[in-house]
Order: sequence, then structure tokens, then C-alpha cells
Amino acid sequence: MSEEGRNAEEARYRALLELDPSSAGARETLVAGLHDESWRVRRAAAEGLTRVPEREVVVERLISVLGERDETGARNAAAESLAGMGLAAVEPLVRLLGHADPDQRKFAADILGQLKLAEAEEALVKAMLEDVDLNVRVAAAEALGHVGGKVAARALERTLHDPEPLLQLSALESLALLRHPPPLPELVRLLGNPMLKRSAYRVLGLIPQVAATELVCRGLGAESRSTREAALVALGTQAGLSEPSQRTEMDAAVRLALKRLPEAVGWVASALESDDLELRAGALVAAAALREPQLAPLVAEVAQEERLVPEVMRTLAHFGPETGRELLASMDRLSFPAREVAGLVLVEMVDATYVPELVQMLDWGELDLKAVAVQGLGRTRSLEAVEPLAQLLDHPELAGPAVRALVTLAGSFPKQVAQALESALERGAEPVVLSALVRVGGTAMLPLVRRTAREGSVALRATAVEVLAAVEPSGGLELARVALEDESSRVRAAAVRVLGQVGDARMSGLLKRALADEALEVRLAALEAVGECGAVEQVAELESLVRHEDGAIAFRAVRSLARLGSLRDEVLRSAVSHGDHEVVKAALLAGAASAEGVSLAVGLLGHANWDVRAAAARILGASGGRECLPATRAALAAETDALARRALVDAVERLSGR
Amino acid sequence: MPFDTGKPEMTAEEFRLLRDFVYGHCGILVRDDMKFVMQRRLWPRLEALGLADFSAYYRYLRFDAQRRAELETAIEALTTHETYFFREPRQLKAFSEEVLPQLERRNARTKRLRIWSAGCSSGEEAYTVAMLLKDSGRFEGWDVEVHGTDISRRVLVAARAGEYGPSALRATPPDKIARYFIHVGPNRVRVRDDVRAWVTFGHHNLQEPDSGQIGSRMDVVFCRNVMIYFDTPARQRVLRLIYDKLVPGGYLLLGHSENLINLSADFELVHLRSDLVYRKPEGGL
Ligand SMILES: C[S@@+](CC[C@H](N)C(=O)[O-])C[C@H]1O[C@@H](n2cnc3c(N)ncnc32)[C@H](O)[C@@H]1O
Repeated sequence: MSEEGRNAEEARYRALLELDPSSAGARETLVAGLHDESWRVRRAAAEGLTRVPEREVVVERLISVLGERDETGARNAAAESLAGMGLAAVEPLVRLLGHADPDQRKFAADILGQLKLAEAEEALVKAMLEDVDLNVRVAAAEALGHVGGKVAARALERTLHDPEPLLQLSALESLALLRHPPPLPELVRLLGNPMLKRSAYRVLGLIPQVAATELVCRGLGAESRSTREAALVALGTQAGLSEPSQRTEMDAAVRLALKRLPEAVGWVASALESDDLELRAGALVAAAALREPQLAPLVAEVAQEERLVPEVMRTLAHFGPETGRELLASMDRLSFPAREVAGLVLVEMVDATYVPELVQMLDWGELDLKAVAVQGLGRTRSLEAVEPLAQLLDHPELAGPAVRALVTLAGSFPKQVAQALESALERGAEPVVLSALVRVGGTAMLPLVRRTAREGSVALRATAVEVLAAVEPSGGLELARVALEDESSRVRAAAVRVLGQVGDARMSGLLKRALADEALEVRLAALEAVGECGAVEQVAELESLVRHEDGAIAFRAVRSLARLGSLRDEVLRSAVSHGDHEVVKAALLAGAASAEGVSLAVGLLGHANWDVRAAAARILGASGGRECLPATRAALAAETDALARRALVDAVERLSGR
Repeated sequence: MPFDTGKPEMTAEEFRLLRDFVYGHCGILVRDDMKFVMQRRLWPRLEALGLADFSAYYRYLRFDAQRRAELETAIEALTTHETYFFREPRQLKAFSEEVLPQLERRNARTKRLRIWSAGCSSGEEAYTVAMLLKDSGRFEGWDVEVHGTDISRRVLVAARAGEYGPSALRATPPDKIARYFIHVGPNRVRVRDDVRAWVTFGHHNLQEPDSGQIGSRMDVVFCRNVMIYFDTPARQRVLRLIYDKLVPGGYLLLGHSENLINLSADFELVHLRSDLVYRKPEGGL
């Protein structure tokens, strides 16, 4: 396009975008836009028309454009617009199904398919069964695949016996879309028809029965690649639909079939690399049956499609430990998602003989690979794994996993692990090491903890306070009092948490100060602690914070009041009107046992957030009386959210039984 | 299955809450069928924080003093950073053979070139672009900047380090390895300094236009395999941002499975010999 042409097109396009669809004359301007030479303009016009008021008139106008025989662009744009019109378009299009021109009738069927509205079912069934033009019948059969319904499914099944193969084919495809397989014997007949074979396999996949699997397996042995692939696709669908017990039987059948086909490894490999998701899913099932180690990296790569990850993991687990090394060796060449699943599976497979390879993997640079190696080392039950893991304890991102791995190893080598942790701590390792040390070494480590609480880094001091309290409450409490004066807010917050966990109401004074600390972190910890240790003196303070605009503060205030058993009705009411839905839910939960709480829950059945509505329903189910039933029923009738509905259904059921 | 024993399952409600929260923050849409993936990726966080279930984790993300840092970690765990050098060669061919000569002509006066790799992950894409610029021999002596941005700070650390293993090189022709990398270990290479000199990296959340500094207008934006994780409104937000950041006539290159159908009609589709690319119209503001 020339510069000038482009500018003119841009101007026409902008003009349509800026046009107010409800203004006078907008409709005809947009209709003219449907006839523009530029697809961008046509699309903008089609979209604009869906927003013009008086839908009925617009729909009729669009239908008249469908009749403009030589205007292909405009007709397609009009069809696109009609497909966006919803229910208003159904009846006029159904009428169009009776037009004298078969071309118009076909258009009508196509658009009704795109609208996907059940209201068109009957008319489409009639068109499929009775229209004199084959193209129209085929279009109607295809549309029914999107529209669905019981009548449609039965009619489609009958159409499988129509003499027109094209019609049989679209009926079969639509049944596949509707996930409505015809009976097996019927399918056996269709599998013999070269033209219908592929679609018949697809439908066969919808039947998770071993008899169906056996039919699919015959397809796996076919000469033609397209039949084999169709069978693989069916296999994947079946696997996805089958129960675990059926699955074992299925696997056995597939294994038996594939063992007789030496070239299977080759074509399964290429199916694993195909672009077609369904084909890959089927190839996974076949690979699990074959268990050829060389397939393992290809199987792992299928994880690039996240929807197939569970199946990939299942398949790799099927391969068994001998495959572990194959995976390990190819780890650094795999894509990121493949590495992730391979890592997860590998960790389950390792034993003491893997240590050298895993240690080598720690040198590989990429963090995710190192993390796998760390986890794997923990599972080797080998003394050799302790030292390399200890080396990682001062690595900020790997210390956590390394500590967990070491704690696992401590099951077999407690002394060695404790020693490694201790010397890491002396080197200035990450704080997680300290808690692990106490877990592994027990009370013998307490002097070290006390020393760390005085002399360590900020992070270590904070951890030490909490660790000590966990093992020796009275000593912990004493240490916490001292730590409340620490210059670091992190340490003070830890001390406050300890007061909450092991202290009692006598801590009130200390917590009062903490509630006024300059650091948010400390204040948040104090809010929690007040409730935990029963510091009722602070109730007034908490009550004033229930309305705090920071949800974090209000949430904790509500929870602590509830714990103290001091949530007054008035405060409860103000909490359920908080802007943060988590605060509202916390309040609902706190008030569950009170009459006020139940009556508030009834009101909250109409809350803007689905999770609050669900929570309110649960409260009513648990604590409401029969008098709540009408309101709950009414809420259920109006509910559109699936999860909230589930809670409401349950609540109605429980309330009805009271 | 031998996996996942003893770990808390994510309930449907927890999934919805977490999903919506993540979506609100960065536009990443975790599809309904991905609960398994989300659960698996967040389990280590429950373990690390000592939390009993995903409700507790959700409240941690909302209300803990460390919430900001944890949100970054969660996003980190939930985003897929898959990338490698010379990914999508057909598009790169079109870029080298047809887009670059045109940019050389257009910017001949200013001798300045700005390219943005939006959602650059660990940097392979940005470095690839710089290598192609070198290969073309057209821009020596120019003021060139390839700017990579990503929401994940961890991948940016890797990007700046510029060191890679075999996985990153799996599609790189040997002659390019010889020319643009030095070996730093048995299985590791580093991008050469002359290439690195043209590349910078920065943190940027594509859903929060003001979150990073994308200063100057760009001649080309690569935004490949990033929008696949977003839903329609989030994609549209990103496209508006990119549109604003492009010079009129500037190019937008998407991943091969992505297109702008039903998303934006602001860009025009340009048919090059080896690929289709998008362009902001010359008259666009
Ligand atoms: C699959 S990688 C694509 C890398 C590279 N563009 C390529 O095609 O090879 C996607 C990247 O998008 C990033 N990302 C996801 N959401 C983002 C957001 N809201 N803002 C910025 N980057 C985001 C992820 O962190 C990830 O690194």
C-alpha cells in the first residue's frame, strides 16, 4: 500500500473506532464499513455493529448483506458480526435456514454453529435431516457439534447411516466434539471405512474401556501413518478419561500390542515431537508402555505443554530407575520445563550410586539444576552426600533446600550432619541452618543458640530467639524480653512472636509497647501475639484497629479479638463492612457461633466477592437455623459463580434438614 | 504415582484466590486446568515458610510483613522462563534481511538504534538480537542499545551474567558459537564483551507500565512467548504499552504461535519474504 493509501485507510479505521454506535446514522455508516476494501476497517465495522442499539434491526440489516452475492468481504464481515449478536440473531437465522438460496441457508447454519446457542438445536436438526442440498445438511451437522443437545446427539447418531459419506463424516466429527460416542459395534463398522477411520478413532478415544483400547491397538499396527496417529490420539484421550484401575489394564493391552511392533519406538519418538497436543498425549501413553530409555528425554520435552505435565511425570515414573541416568546425563540439554519434570522424577529414583553424578550437577551453573541435585542428594541415604550439601549452606538460594536435604540424611548419619551444620554456622551460614541444627542435635545445641542470639547477624539473632523458645520455652521467653530491645526490627518481631507463642496474659505490657513500635513488621507480630497469649487488656486497642484501612492490620485485629473471645457485636458489624474481603471472611468466621454473626452472614450472601458469599453460605450451613433457608435459597437462585453455588447448595441441604 | 505424598492439596477456592491475586499483579493467567502446575510450583514455598496449607499461603501473600518479597518469589515460581539463543530462525532471518536494512536507511541520520526485548527471560533473545546486528555489519559506530526487561529478578541476574550451558545453545549454529562466545568451563560459555556492550537489562512488569524505565522510543520490540500467559485484557494492555513505546513505522515481533487477531487492529501486518511481522503505521501517534 502506498503511504497515501495507508493514511487514508488509517483515517477510515479511526473514524469507525471513534464512531458512537448509538448516534443517528451510525448503523448505515458501519454497514458501509463492512464493504470497505481494508480488512481492518471491515473488522472494526463488524465489531461496531454488535454495539448498535436496536439489535433486531441491525440483525435484519446484516442478514440482507449476507445476500449480496458478489461482496465476499462484506458477507464474511456481516457473518462475523452476526456471530457476535447472541440470542437476538437466532430466530432470524433460523428463518434464513428456509431461504430459497442454498448458499444463504448454508451461511445461516454456519453462523448458528458459531453462536453456540441451544435455541437453534431443533432447526439445525431439521436442516441436517431434511434439507435438499447436501452442503446445507453438512453445515447443519457441523453446527450441531457446537450447539449440542440430546435431540441433536440422537439425530447425529442416526446420520451415521446416511448414504452420503460427507454427511457421515461431519456427524461423526460433531459427535466427537459433543463427547457423545455411538455404541462400540457401530464404531467397528465405521473404522472399516477409510474416509471415516480417523474420526472414528477420535470418537473411540472417548470410550475408556479395555475393549475400546484393544480396537485402538489394532490401529497402532496399521500401515498408514495417519491411521496410526489417529489411534495414538485415541489412546491419549482414553487414558485421560480412564480410572486408575482401568488404566493399568489399558497399559497392559498397549504394551502387548507395541511389543509386536519393532518400529514403534521410531514413530512414537516422532509423535512425541509433533505439534499436535492430542497426538503427543497419546504418544506418552505409548512411551510408558514401551519404556525405552532413549525415549525418556523426548518424553520430558513434552512437558513444554503444561497441560501434559501430569501425564509426562506419570510416564517417566513408569520408565523405572534404569532410566534415571539417561535423564541425568541429558539434563543440561533439556528445555526448562523438561528439566523441571525430569528433576522431580529423578529425585524419586536416586540411590547411593548416583552421588558422583549429582555432585557433578552442582557445578552446572543453572540454579534449577542445582536445586534438583540438592534434593536428590538428600534422598541418596549416602554419607558421601553430606559434605557437598554442607558447602551450600551459605548460598542464599540453596541453603533452604540443602538444609532440608541434610535433615533427611540425618536420619542415617545424625552426628556427621550435626557437625557439618555446626561448622557451617561458624562460617556464617544462612539462619535456616540454626533451626536445623537444633532439630538434629537436640538440646545439646542450646548453648550455641544462646551465643548466636547475642553475637550473630541480624537474621541469625532473630532465628535464634525463635529456635530457643521452641525447644526451651522459659529460656526462650527470657531471651525474648532482652531481644525486644534489639536495634533490628526483625529481631524485635521475632521476640514478639515468641511472647505470643510461649507467654501468657502477663505479657500485656510488653505487647502494648510492641503495638506502638515504629516498624510495621513488629506491630503486625504484636497484633497476632496479643490474641495468642490472651492479653485481654489490649482489647480496646485491637477494636480501634479493626477499621484500619491496611487489611493486614485489620485482619489480625479481628482474629486476635476472636481468639480472646472479645469480639463485640458492634465491632463484628464494623469488621464485615471492611473493604478487604479477607477481613470480612475472618470476621464471619469469628462470629460463626453468635446470633449476630449468623444474621450478618445472611446479609453477606449478596456480597460483591464470590469467596465472601461462599464463606457466608458455609457459616449458615454450620450455624444457621431453618429461618435462614429462604434467604439462602434466594441467594442460590441468583448465584452465578460455580464455587459459591457449591457452598450454597450444601448450605440449603443442611438447613433443610434442621 | 510416587509423587506428592503428604503435601497439602490446593482446594478449588484456594486456587481461585491465588490465581486472581497473581493475575491482578502481573496479568499472568493460570488456566483452570493448571491447578496441578500451580500447586506443584508453590509447594516448596509452603515448605520454606512452614505454612500448613494454601489458604495460609494466600494470607501470607496478602498480609505478611514480607509480602512483597514473597509475591516476587511466587511469580518467579509461576512463570516459565523457557528461552534459548536463535529461537525462531525464520523470523530472525526476516529481521536480519529485511527489517535491519530498512532501519539502517531510516536512522541513517541519527545513527541510533533502539531494540526492546520485552519478557527477555535469561537474556538469550536480547543477545541474539545484538549478535544479528553485529552480523549485519551495518551498525558499527552507531549508538545501539538492545534493552531486555523481565518481571523476574532472578532471570535478570542470569541475563546480566551472560553465561550459559548447552540447553541455551541448542539451536545455535557452531560458527556463531565460535564468533560470539568464549568458553568458561567444560560445558559453559559466556557472551563476548563486544556483544554485551550493546545489551542492557532492567526490571519491568509489563502490566504496570510505570514499573520500569523504558525511556526512549523503540525501533523494534520483540515480545515473544510472553503474552501466551496473559488473557485478552492483559494482552491488550501490553499491546497498548508497546504501541506507545514504538516509533511510527517501528516493528513488533511476536512468537510464532502468537498473533493480534481479536486483540488489536492498531498494528498493520507486513508480509516479508520469510515471515509475517507487525508494524505500527507510519501515521500512528
Ligand atoms: C517463555 S519466556 C520468553 C523468553 C523470550 N522472549 C523468548 O521468546 O525466548 C517468558 C518471559 O516472560 C516473563 N513475563 C511474564 N509475565 C511478565 C510480566 N507481566 N512482565 C514482564 N515479564 C513477564 C517471564 O518472567 C518469562 O521470563
